[in-house]
Amino acid sequence: MQWILIAMILILLIPLYEAWQDDDIWQRMLAFASIATKTSIMILVISVLRDDWMIGVVGVLILSVGNAALMLLAHVLRRMNEG
Amino acid sequence: MMDIVSYSLMGLGLVFWMWGTLPLLGDRSVLFKLHSLSVSDTLGSISIIAGLLLRIPSEWPLLLLALISLAIWNTVLGYVLAYCSSSGGNRG
Amino acid sequence: MCWPTVQARGGIVANFSTDLSVDAYVLAIAMLLPITACMLVTQVNPYHALVIRGILGAVAALVYALFGAADVALTEALVGTMLSITLYAIAVRSSLRMRLGVLEEALPERSPVADYPQPLPAATPVLSALRQALRQYHMRLELVAYPDPQALQAALVTKDVHTILLPSATAIAASQPPDSLTGHSSGQPLGQSSGQSSGQHSGHPSRSHTPPRRYQLQTRIQRLYEILQPVLPSDVASLDYLTLKSNPQTHLPHDPSAAVEPPPSMEVQS
Repeated sequence: MQWILIAMILILLIPLYEAWQDDDIWQRMLAFASIATKTSIMILVISVLRDDWMIGVVGVLILSVGNAALMLLAHVLRRMNEG
Repeated sequence: MMDIVSYSLMGLGLVFWMWGTLPLLGDRSVLFKLHSLSVSDTLGSISIIAGLLLRIPSEWPLLLLALISLAIWNTVLGYVLAYCSSSGGNRG
Repeated sequence: MCWPTVQARGGIVANFSTDLSVDAYVLAIAMLLPITACMLVTQVNPYHALVIRGILGAVAALVYALFGAADVALTEALVGTMLSITLYAIAVRSSLRMRLGVLEEALPERSPVADYPQPLPAATPVLSALRQALRQYHMRLELVAYPDPQALQAALVTKDVHTILLPSATAIAASQPPDSLTGHSSGQPLGQSSGQSSGQHSGHPSRSHTPPRRYQLQTRIQRLYEILQPVLPSDVASLDYLTLKSNPQTHLPHDPSAAVEPPPSMEVQS
């Protein structure tokens, strides 16, 4: 189980680097979307690893709420580019 | 037996993740990256959650909720990001 | 009353520290948080910093969930990521901007459907130059339309807009020797730039017989003057900085007496 988490961390470093080096705001938003999904899946894996039901509930909530935050931010950024 | 299937599902999910995330590093267009990211990231995440579901079947309502919300939200998010990035780029 | 909870928390922490020595992935995940924080601190563009703040919130929720604090992780995702990012995005968007007052004839096709009308081609060079200059400071340009030059000047005096854009002849007529406005003119090399401007306006043959349409910008904010003055091409527009006299009526822009009584710069006009 632990090697899965280690591999997930290594994959998580890719969008992190992308968000750091790219100048386009939409590429950064893509990296943000990728990281938001990946971290919540990692929380789910940790909850199964620890056998902790409470962390699992939080992981599912973050999985759905993080995407909602992304959509709000995307719409605000779109209005900024128009004006 | 169940462990082997579960581990192989999670390994498949990791391969999908890697496959979807590596195109982020190139300098292709946003829509190309969004396509690869949304398709293979969602497939990889679903596969990982299915692997977890096989490991702990007692938590099936929680993981099923995760599966459904993942499938719906990631699809909607893909559309929203594509719409916002393309319409913002035209005017800006 | 407090003692048992403290004892219980101490027990949990003690159990956890034995786990930390075993698991390498805990350290690896915990290392993600300072890396993301350093990325956030080094950002220059405020919008990019907001996106990185979202990434930091996701990573922080992961770290909190890893250490067993499910409630803190949920609060970080809901408030720290969603609410604060949205509020900050709106705050940055509405504060990093320059309100530019223009004449309505510069924006002819203002349909009620389109929120952002396209300006006339003649006013496009100065607007694009302004946008390019403001983009270095991550600012937006917001156009506000007024019917005539008098309303434009009044809007500047009542601090409704930051800067106004006038065609050159109107600007000279409207603000000849203003009593309350001391203008620092910005050295306009008219003769030098005539060659460039005639080449620029060759695309509009109907205007070729008229003198090249220059624009005059008047701002009331010193920082905007300092930003715009070095980068604004002198053959497109000139920039003036106006020091507003402290007028008690300008504190109340919606005061009806201030609207009836013209601003001091208009007395010269009438």
